[in-house]
Amino acid sequence: MNKDTNEKSRSGKKQLSISRKALITTLMSCIIFGLVSQIIALAFYGVSLTNQYIDFATSVALQAQQSAVKGTDAAGLSNDVMEIYRSLSDEERQKTGTAGYRALYSDLTKEKGGSYDVLWHMLKGVLSFNNIYDVYIAMYDRDTEAIVYIVDPLVDGDSDMMPGDWEHADSREINTFMNGYVDDLPRYFSWTKQYGLLCTVAIPIRNEARDFCSFLFVDVSAKEIIYSMLRFSLQYTLALLIVTLLIAWLGTRRIRRTLVAPINRIAKAAQEYVKDRQEHSDNKDHFASLNIRTGDELENLSLAMADMERELMEYEDHLTTITAEKERIGTELMLATKIQAAMLPHSFPPFPDRNEFDIYATMEPAREVGGDFYDFFLIDEDHLGLVMADVSGKGIPAALFMMISKTILQSCAMLGRSSAEILSKTNEAICSKNQADMFVTVWFGILEISTGIVTAANAGHEYPAVCRADGSFELMKDKHGLVIGGMDGINYKEYQIQLFEGDKIFVYTDGITEATDRDEVLFGTDRMLEALNSEPAASPEQILKNVRDAVRVFVKESEQFDDMTMMCIEYKGNSEKRRSE
Amino acid sequence: MTIEKALADKALTLKISGRIDSKTAPELEKTVQDALDSITCLVFDFDDVVYISSAGLRILLIAQKKMNSRGEMKVINVNNDIMEIFEVTGFTDILTIG
Repeated sequence: MNKDTNEKSRSGKKQLSISRKALITTLMSCIIFGLVSQIIALAFYGVSLTNQYIDFATSVALQAQQSAVKGTDAAGLSNDVMEIYRSLSDEERQKTGTAGYRALYSDLTKEKGGSYDVLWHMLKGVLSFNNIYDVYIAMYDRDTEAIVYIVDPLVDGDSDMMPGDWEHADSREINTFMNGYVDDLPRYFSWTKQYGLLCTVAIPIRNEARDFCSFLFVDVSAKEIIYSMLRFSLQYTLALLIVTLLIAWLGTRRIRRTLVAPINRIAKAAQEYVKDRQEHSDNKDHFASLNIRTGDELENLSLAMADMERELMEYEDHLTTITAEKERIGTELMLATKIQAAMLPHSFPPFPDRNEFDIYATMEPAREVGGDFYDFFLIDEDHLGLVMADVSGKGIPAALFMMISKTILQSCAMLGRSSAEILSKTNEAICSKNQADMFVTVWFGILEISTGIVTAANAGHEYPAVCRADGSFELMKDKHGLVIGGMDGINYKEYQIQLFEGDKIFVYTDGITEATDRDEVLFGTDRMLEALNSEPAASPEQILKNVRDAVRVFVKESEQFDDMTMMCIEYKGNSEKRRSE
Repeated sequence: MTIEKALADKALTLKISGRIDSKTAPELEKTVQDALDSITCLVFDFDDVVYISSAGLRILLIAQKKMNSRGEMKVINVNNDIMEIFEVTGFTDILTIG
């Protein structure tokens, strides 16, 4: 339950996160786009507006200049003023703006209807009827670095300019002014404390000899330009903000619909899938019923999830079947192991009332069931049959073949024939039904209990090891015939071993000698003999244990590769015979 | 285990290297079974065989029985270890070793 809530909160966080990311991205891109576009627009707007103002100022200036030149003697007035100005000493000039200074020029201004009067009224008219800051006539004087006013109609408190009044203008300003004049009409922008940013256009006034007499200036305040641009910025920003918010809202809504919602549906399906599986519910269409039709990766994802769901379902069904099958086979194999073990004599001592011999044997299959087997049985009161056998291959086929071989061998043995005859008969019987071309190696011996004589025959089996009382185990290179089941019509040769009291015979399968360690080294007969001879006088049971321990130490953690089977019989002598002697 | 096949007319030589045990025997069995029907002489070159288990012996047995009725079969270059296995299992009685 707790886990469920965690998952929900996790998915909730995810949803917020994607929407928020989209929102931030949209806002950021809109703002960056807006800023850049605003700068570009402002630049264009500013340039165009400025040009417009300059054009306007220029046309006003041209008109005024034409009126001044054609209607009055502006050139003459200019020359007169400049003449007086230049004739003055520096000291006198320093008094500019004072009544005394202005009196020096009074001859030029006092006359009603004179050039100055007419020009002043004309310019005043121009100033009143146009949206400009000022229109005036002035001349620069390079020697004194001054702008000398000729006519200025602007009435603005203290800064009224009368003819001859001058202002300092350093040579740099004059140069700037004159440079602007090179290609076109001179124009420049200047920042004045008094008037703020001014755009000034100047038109030369010449006399008839085409000499410069003065300039007609028109000042246009750039305040308007700045205000216009600020207004434009404000409006643009507002519009941009509205559009940005609109785009962000639409974008987020779209992302929620096309991205977040389908993801949440897939996530929900996944949660329900897990939940249903935990509760073993039969609902099998969590992803298949999603029906996401976005036509993009999300649709692919949902389809892939549906495929996965189906594959998992099939796999699970398959797995259930296989597991059931495995369990069944496991049970059957366990039974088979029991049956096989029960087939071999497994209670020791097997014949508690017979003290002429001691026998012990073990069989350890590499898998659940094996192909090795040992056997011993009394053929009659005086004859004990001994079998050690190894079927080719391992597992169930070997186990089935082993069962047949064991049964046939014992049946043949009970007929009371010799060892070689028994093996030949067994071979014939097995060859007649051997479809799988399997075979079994057999060492078969019959101990005559009264005499201690073992009559044995070997059908392709390992060499037996024989130990004389007080001696040690040695391999006995006995005569070998072909494995049983190999080929029809084989005759086996038999041989005899005379056992005396305390003598032992050890027989085994290649699972012992061919046990391998990690480096694929075989245990071999030498190590086996060594293990046997560690305690050659011990009981058969102890001897088997010694060999098994030696193999275990040798192979270490390597897997048991083949069935391991051993049998050891110790002849204790015929007590009756001994007594009678 | 690796098997090198050399077919000359109807005589097939299989040069086998490594261990022939229950893990590698099925491959050898398939090679032999596939070839048996079309040849009259089968030679196993055992020069590089280090071990043969009962599963390998079974294949030799099958091949020998088949070749008895079709032509001849030989096992050549048998080293001492393998020879001992053949002797112990009595295969020396039925195989042509040389």
